[in-house]
Amino acid sequence: MRPRDPAILRIALLALATALVAALALGLGSGGWDWALIVSLRAPRVAAAAGVGSLLALAGLALQVLLRNPLADPYVLGHSSGASVGALTALLLGAQLWIGAAAGALVAGLALLWLARPALAAADDASPRLILLGAMLAAVFGAIATLMLALVPDQRLRGAIFWMVGDLSGADASLWNLAGAGLFAAWLWSRGRSVDRLMLGADAAWLLGEPVRRLRLELLVFASLAVGLAVATCGSIGFVGLVVAQGWRLAGVLRTRELALLSLLSGASLLMAADLLARIVVAPLELPVGAVMALIGAPCFIWFLARGVK
Amino acid sequence: MNPAAQGFAPAASRVPLLQTQGLTLKAAGRVLVDALDWRVHAGERWCVIGRNGAGKSLVLRALAGLGVPGRAGEVLWQGRPQQDWPVVAAAATRALMPQQAQDRFALTVERTLALSQVVVSSDSRTAGELMSALDIATLSARRADQLSGGERQRVALAQCAMQGAALMLLDEPVSFQDPAHQQLVGRWLAEAATGERAWIASAHDPSWIGRVATHVLALFGDGCWQAGPVDDILSEDVLERTYGCAWRSVEDVWIPA
Repeated sequence: MRPRDPAILRIALLALATALVAALALGLGSGGWDWALIVSLRAPRVAAAAGVGSLLALAGLALQVLLRNPLADPYVLGHSSGASVGALTALLLGAQLWIGAAAGALVAGLALLWLARPALAAADDASPRLILLGAMLAAVFGAIATLMLALVPDQRLRGAIFWMVGDLSGADASLWNLAGAGLFAAWLWSRGRSVDRLMLGADAAWLLGEPVRRLRLELLVFASLAVGLAVATCGSIGFVGLVVAQGWRLAGVLRTRELALLSLLSGASLLMAADLLARIVVAPLELPVGAVMALIGAPCFIWFLARGVK
Repeated sequence: MNPAAQGFAPAASRVPLLQTQGLTLKAAGRVLVDALDWRVHAGERWCVIGRNGAGKSLVLRALAGLGVPGRAGEVLWQGRPQQDWPVVAAAATRALMPQQAQDRFALTVERTLALSQVVVSSDSRTAGELMSALDIATLSARRADQLSGGERQRVALAQCAMQGAALMLLDEPVSFQDPAHQQLVGRWLAEAATGERAWIASAHDPSWIGRVATHVLALFGDGCWQAGPVDDILSEDVLERTYGCAWRSVEDVWIPA
């Protein structure tokens, strides 16, 4: 057995880095270190960024195992497209954006669960069917969202587009995201060995005595709830969900337990850092955080890949 | 389980590790195996022979309890229908080595073996012992998805053995092995059915089977089958009916004509 020390050290260092990023995100920006400003404005936003980043990273990790595809991202199954349709509907009706988004994500998630029943019920590995179903749902909802954009009044179009690419500026102080991320990571930890076995294949895991159907259903439900929560908070922020778990895998982390903790921490710090940059680079203007993150993160990841493939 | 008791159990009263009753398997509308009635007891080493597409893998999947469309008949593990076994208890009863491992994630050999362990008993082998016995000890830190075909096959065999189940079902355990490793795996298999254990493996080379197995099940591909001790089945008649070509035997080496 190899010592577990590298894993503990990695997690400890990352926790420290996450705290540091949080402190910076709380302290930097226009207005400087003003306690009232920090508590009333920045803290809710930083908490939202941390929670959403963690949720998306964990959803990516869960879906990559469920779909047996290391390239799966939280939006492959159509939740975010459903949320967009809901949010645009809310915008057209003059209702709260997040209510519409949550309802849309819920409808898309339930539709997927209902359609995927045969794929999940089969003992064999039906992942291609599941991922194709998700892709088709995403296509349908995406098309509806695009059609609806044509109907949105011009003065609201900017807000709608900002929301669709991900926008933390209106995020509420809800602690649901942080609590949900913590719960999700704890669940992944408790099922760590079973999820590890699922990586050997659905048949292989079942032969080893794992309740594969229930496990896959739980993975799908947890990932759907996480994505729905994240999207209802701040729209479809990309990149973080695809890259975090995948990055740690490439760095040689194999265990689900370790991956869950690392995804929780690095998802949070990545999105907090990206949001900090989005706020201060061209202050007082704000950039869409999803674009900022991908613009800096993707080249870093490409460099990492190119270096690793020597 | 109890080493003192097993020696005294009279053969006739022993419950077979595996029993099939009228097991019928179809593929593409064709009956491949018709009404298979078969018993496998502890201590027996079975090889399943048949030409390509005769249903060897299908039989092994059905015996393991995996879904096989168009299947009829019963499979009993230790006297109890396989569908009545809870999934965890079933894992201690039978293990399956598939023909192709489904590696999608980067797992090391060591980790793969650790995940495959289910039953830990006094006579279960440690990962280290298994890896040296199957000549994969030097691969333990390598990624399972980056091994050669033969190496991956021996890792799959070790995974199957790590599970610690009483019955091992092996789908072509030596198809990718070089001659030296065919002998190594054969010698290991010849000693792997001790005590309360048994195994069933699909294989093609009658000479290798003659050295390794105690019994053979021949599938003729048209639904007919024949099961029995290795010396009865490895005959010119049965081999010709199995493979559709003539065979002759020279000092325990079988040569196709």
